[in-house]
Amino acid sequence: MTAGAVAEAIASGALGQRVWLYSNYHCNLACTYCLTDSAPSSPRRELAAEAMVTVARQAADLGFATLGVTGGEPFLRPDMPDTLAELAGILPTVVLSNATLFSGPRLERLRPLAGADVAVQVSLDRAEAPPNDQLRGDGNHGRVVDAIPRLVSLGIRVRVGTTLDPVVAMPEEERSRLCDLHRSLGVPDEDHIVRPVVRRGRAAEFEMGVDAGPADLAPELTITAEGAFWSPFGPTIREGRPDLDLLVTRTTDPLSTPAAAIARLAGARAPGDDARLGIR
Amino acid sequence: MTPPQASNGAVPGGGPAVRLVEAGGAPLLARPYFAGGDPGPVVAALATVPELLEATAPFLGAVLGPSAVPLRLKEIVILRTSARASCRYCVEAHTVVARDAGLTVAEVRALRGESDLDGVFADAGERAAVGWCDAVAGIGAIPEEVRQSLTSAFAEHLVVELTLLASTTLLLNRFCTALRLPTSLAVLDRLAAEDLA
Repeated sequence: MTAGAVAEAIASGALGQRVWLYSNYHCNLACTYCLTDSAPSSPRRELAAEAMVTVARQAADLGFATLGVTGGEPFLRPDMPDTLAELAGILPTVVLSNATLFSGPRLERLRPLAGADVAVQVSLDRAEAPPNDQLRGDGNHGRVVDAIPRLVSLGIRVRVGTTLDPVVAMPEEERSRLCDLHRSLGVPDEDHIVRPVVRRGRAAEFEMGVDAGPADLAPELTITAEGAFWSPFGPTIREGRPDLDLLVTRTTDPLSTPAAAIARLAGARAPGDDARLGIR
Repeated sequence: MTPPQASNGAVPGGGPAVRLVEAGGAPLLARPYFAGGDPGPVVAALATVPELLEATAPFLGAVLGPSAVPLRLKEIVILRTSARASCRYCVEAHTVVARDAGLTVAEVRALRGESDLDGVFADAGERAAVGWCDAVAGIGAIPEEVRQSLTSAFAEHLVVELTLLASTTLLLNRFCTALRLPTSLAVLDRLAAEDLA
């Protein structure tokens, strides 16, 4: 399969236009539904900054349109703001963060992102602290609510990502309060993303979330230190080892190798076999 | 219970050195290789690098599968080469395949180096192929008289194929030995039943 076929798969919508990068797997939190079983002591499994930039350049050449950076908590890496600024110079970038590290000198280090084509997607799951912090750790809600206006005031675009266990439905009134909250913090409705907990990684241990296989997950090329995966929900960790069921290739450079493979796999799906859960 | 004794005299030590992928956790590109049931430990190990599995499996299938070289001769080459390379897994697995291909217990024992070859193989071509395996599995230049024996017994294309078969077997011998790939219980049972364990 040629690079042109990859571009064609992206243009037709058969393959997602975003390439995800798992910058690292360690995290200052240990959320109950974490896909990657991340915690402060987790092995870092880092992608070097130069490797991420290389992926970005090759992704642009292949026809991908945007980048996503996730972890772990990407901002535990001191080089992350500068790396994001460089990535955003290549393709528009969104970075997922728990937003608990944005104060003092760490906030100052975000200045290179002001005005760059970078959105910081922060996790905020519930309208009030108690149910939110039950999943994400004590004090999490307050730290996130404090951090969002600081990011906005720096000129950084903020999105809010809400991850919900569909089994525990959020009451409509609470959903309304959550939306009031993000609006009051300067995040418009179009930048609020709600998605289900996926039953992989630690979420599977706690029997949370929805089962999701390749038929349920949109194909979005996802690059990690251990290979290329079908979706950002793919490189999950179980008993300290990466799950391989959504592995595409171990080769990530040249990016054309996994890109061609995922385009071929995506193209082999039956016509109309769209991702059933539409999870992003 | 006595632990399974490999045909080369070594007792298998420890489990496999790498993860052996199971059907439920097989990577996307590897799934077709699991569709027909357990594909065996070579594929299960290669599945951790799916793009290599995709390239390697068809190659191995072409070299080891049905071809211009008759099955009996193929198994003579594989078993002899594996014995010379002291590959426990390949010797055990291909002892069973060789028996299924019609080789006698005496022929199998001779190929495994447990008895003399003299008088066991009446066919000059088979004797030449065994000598060829011994030379290919060794180091350094191939003795000219060994080459002469083979080329006088087989057409050129068969010489090429037999040489690739022995070379590919060596590749597998080292792969299986290095990664300590396990012999299936079914094969071990069969070896025990035929007193070939």
